[in-house]
Amino acid sequence: MTLFPERNPKLAWREIDSEAVIISPEDSHVHELNETASIIWTNADGKHSVDEIAGVIAARYEVELPEAKADVDELIEVLSAKGLLVASKRAGAPAGA
Amino acid sequence: MPNTPIMDRLVRKTVERHLPWNVHIDLTYRCNERCVHCYLDHHDYGEMTTREVKNVLDQLAEAGSLFLTFSGGEIFLRPDLFELIAYGRGLNFDVSLKTNALLIDESRARRLRELGIRKIQISIYSADAAIHDAITKVPGSLVRSLRAVQFLLAEGLQVKLACPLMKQNLAGFREVQLLAEELGVPYMLDLTITPMMDGGDGVLALRSSATELLQVLQDQNLNSRACTPPETEPKPAFITGSSTSSGIESSAYDDIPCSAGHNSCYISPYGDVSPCVQMPKPAGNLRKQRFDEIWYGSKEMQRVRAVRESQLPLCSSCSIRGYCERCPGLAQMEGGDLLGAYERACELAEMNARLAGIENPISAMHLESGLKGVQSGITQRKDLVQVSL
Repeated sequence: MTLFPERNPKLAWREIDSEAVIISPEDSHVHELNETASIIWTNADGKHSVDEIAGVIAARYEVELPEAKADVDELIEVLSAKGLLVASKRAGAPAGA
Repeated sequence: MPNTPIMDRLVRKTVERHLPWNVHIDLTYRCNERCVHCYLDHHDYGEMTTREVKNVLDQLAEAGSLFLTFSGGEIFLRPDLFELIAYGRGLNFDVSLKTNALLIDESRARRLRELGIRKIQISIYSADAAIHDAITKVPGSLVRSLRAVQFLLAEGLQVKLACPLMKQNLAGFREVQLLAEELGVPYMLDLTITPMMDGGDGVLALRSSATELLQVLQDQNLNSRACTPPETEPKPAFITGSSTSSGIESSAYDDIPCSAGHNSCYISPYGDVSPCVQMPKPAGNLRKQRFDEIWYGSKEMQRVRAVRESQLPLCSSCSIRGYCERCPGLAQMEGGDLLGAYERACELAEMNARLAGIENPISAMHLESGLKGVQSGITQRKDLVQVSL
């Protein structure tokens, strides 16, 4: 099974200078993500798998895929714990499917 | 919005880049109340259609807007309101509403929660139904609005009470404060009574005088207690975080009059775009031009954007400038000059300065015209942070 992270649809957000600003309507809390986390955020559309997002990070920062994957896993865990992301496990599918 | 480092930085970014991240859209000027102080005419001269508003929202999202406020008139008179909210939320806007709440029942409150509305501001003029209803000219309106507040709170939505103060309800401002505290919601006392959008100034007679406002400005409760519940402490979010309420404060505004035209703007039901609702001169119309053409290219936006506090011909030299909440829109409407001073601001600045312990404060405008500032004999400083001018 593959993990497909998805942005919490309750949240409002925009990117400013490649950094995501996220607002929770329930408590007016503002989150600002750095560039790396913002790449995960913008790709967390329920269509891209964690591995694919790690590939984007690896290419962007020119790091080995396992290293990128470890970072992405950790960030997704943090963002999910804060309720910003929801992640579903399902059979792998090509991006955009 | 508290002046936290994160918000300050974000605001600075949007101001520096002229990102229109805060947009106020009046969906209609029609209303089911007839408030005595209202600046609108309540007619429909051809409001934007559902499709037109959606197109505007598409353009705003593309331009980087984040905060969207739907207001009016009474927005629930638009049968497509929920469709427009849903569309805006689908574009990831942070959506807030301003309403009299008369048409909000349990099912609509539930729908608003489901749609992810962040905040609903409701006009409450008095805790006394006779006074509130006399202002709205709708019998039973206070009871209905407060019932709606309960529906919204039951859904866990954030509600804020807004209380414009005028002669009719000035004496009851403490009761509004107590009402808000009983409900557990923030509130805002607003001294702004603005001229009609067509320039008519008849409603200005409803304004309380500066002397009459002393009881508000000196109120110990307002001075000693926060008017809003404590904001959530900044949480250790992934990178950083803060809480947001309404209004945006930032040091980015230090040398500009306000956010109007810098990172915020107003859109009328007819598609007119202006820097602010208090600046009704349109910079352009969305039925004829794209938003970004108006926002970035119009002469009116550029004119407003060019104003710097330090270069105001008269106010920049005013010795009590720090006590003044001059509004450029009201300067235009009441004094006829976007860059100029106007009587109401000077009068209240003198009052605020006197309350802060400044002896015989006189505004630059009054100094120039040879008038003396308001005399009150009050010498002790009182901080009143929730009264907006």
